[in-house]
Amino acid sequence: MQRLDILKEVNDIFIDVLDDESIVLSEQTTAADVDGWDSLTHIQLIVAIEKKFKLRFTSKDIQSWKDVKEMIDCIVTK
Amino acid sequence: MIFNSVEFFIFFSVFFVLYWFVSNRNLSFQNILLLIGSYIFYAWWDWRFLSLLIGSSLLNYYLGLGIWNSKTDKKKKGLLLIGLVQGLGGLVFFKYVNFFVDSFVSAFSFFNIDLNLHAMNLILPLGISFYTFRTVSYLLDIYKGKIEPSHNPIVFFSYVAFFPSLISGPIDRASTLIPQLEKNRNFDYDQAVDGCRQILWGLFKKFVVADNCGLITKLIFNDYHELPGSSLLLGAFYYTIQIYADFSGYSDMAIGFAKLLGFNITKNFDYPFFSQNIAGFWRKWHISLTTWLTDFVFTPLTIAFRDYGKVGLILAIIINFTTIGLWHGANWTFILFGFLHGCYYIPLIIRGTLSKKNKIADDKLLPSFSEFIYMSITFIVVMLTFIVFRSDTISQAVDYFARMFSSSFLSIPKLFNKTTTGFIIVLIAVEWLQRSKQHGLQITNISKPFMRKTLYFITILIIFIFGAFNNADFLYFKF
Repeated sequence: MQRLDILKEVNDIFIDVLDDESIVLSEQTTAADVDGWDSLTHIQLIVAIEKKFKLRFTSKDIQSWKDVKEMIDCIVTK
Repeated sequence: MIFNSVEFFIFFSVFFVLYWFVSNRNLSFQNILLLIGSYIFYAWWDWRFLSLLIGSSLLNYYLGLGIWNSKTDKKKKGLLLIGLVQGLGGLVFFKYVNFFVDSFVSAFSFFNIDLNLHAMNLILPLGISFYTFRTVSYLLDIYKGKIEPSHNPIVFFSYVAFFPSLISGPIDRASTLIPQLEKNRNFDYDQAVDGCRQILWGLFKKFVVADNCGLITKLIFNDYHELPGSSLLLGAFYYTIQIYADFSGYSDMAIGFAKLLGFNITKNFDYPFFSQNIAGFWRKWHISLTTWLTDFVFTPLTIAFRDYGKVGLILAIIINFTTIGLWHGANWTFILFGFLHGCYYIPLIIRGTLSKKNKIADDKLLPSFSEFIYMSITFIVVMLTFIVFRSDTISQAVDYFARMFSSSFLSIPKLFNKTTTGFIIVLIAVEWLQRSKQHGLQITNISKPFMRKTLYFITILIIFIFGAFNNADFLYFKF
């Protein structure tokens, strides 16, 4: 899957989990840029992404991402 | 050498002059002075445990560098483990060993088995719960790659022993304090004046509100079996205010003294009694401890339990809050206090409103009716848990509740104090109006300097006239 496709899928998950149609993610987006993306919803997002892409992140992965780019890097390597 | 003592006033005055005027603003000289000053401050309380503080700093300094420079994850983990065992092990040894011994002995005696174990005569090293959390978070943050270790031992040792927040917090993270220790500090008049105002507000909270409440709560909690239920309710109310005014007053002073030295340290309270639910309350109460636990206990647990949905979240929050309770000390009352707070979250988790932040607009003079009701409910549920917190044993707490909710609940309370209650209302009113500011006396809406100075002067007068100078320690020194 191409990075752009992954970004689009992840974007849909964000819209769904955070219940906000207006979210448009880019690779540079950070948690501070998205309303409602906090430590708790982060876990819900992780669970949804893991289900969608059928993969499993480690605890260290989940706590180390600084922006959407690093998250996608991690999805690509899995 | 308590902040509100004459000794500390002399110590700080001499220190202040040396720090700003003799050091000639030379950074290394200032940092060495800060370190020596912090050790003198600590030794004044209890010189015996100074070696523990220095030894712990030394070990963690080298472990930090070791974790950073290690090539393999296995070695990093090994070094981190040494740090955790030393830090948390020391904490468990001094704080909890006797508790476990006693609990084991009484559990076995229940089955008529007499264990010949005796509790040791241990003294809790002052500030250990606070500085240990600094060193532990330092190593964990390096391990996770969030920060780089400090390469300057004076800077790192000063971070661990920084005297304004050494004894009772706020628990500053390395990422907040170390960069400030590494860069030149210039005397900023506005920051220093604001520091003085924050200290003044802290003194008001401590002497006028907390210590006056303390005189009454001591009577009520000691003689609760002879007082009517209404007085016990009053005792719970005064104690809740006392612990807030005492601990947030202390924190205001710590932050104020740090400002006088050119530092901005972590905020510890953000007007918790104006929260509309329990989650809001804990976002604003003892912030430096709760954010620490969120990062190192709650978040790893939610990640580990993420496949179990809301049940996993409830479990994570209950473990997290029981840990917060246990952090206060080895007593079942603290454990129950934390556990109850964890349980308070269950309705929020089930409704899915945990992340929802209800903030009252800053420009509103009064809260709406529903906001007021939610604030009152939050206050009451928190107040009930402080009965457990204040009691010596669980059975005393149960007894207190039983007597409080008895037929004398609706009688006229004994030990109601008009002056103290009046000052509690002043405290709440001032903090309500100032809730968007850092502290109660950060006044920006009175433009005339004369008026502002009159207000500060009145505050000082009130402290001298109405303050309870009964030499009471801060409540959080024993944790």
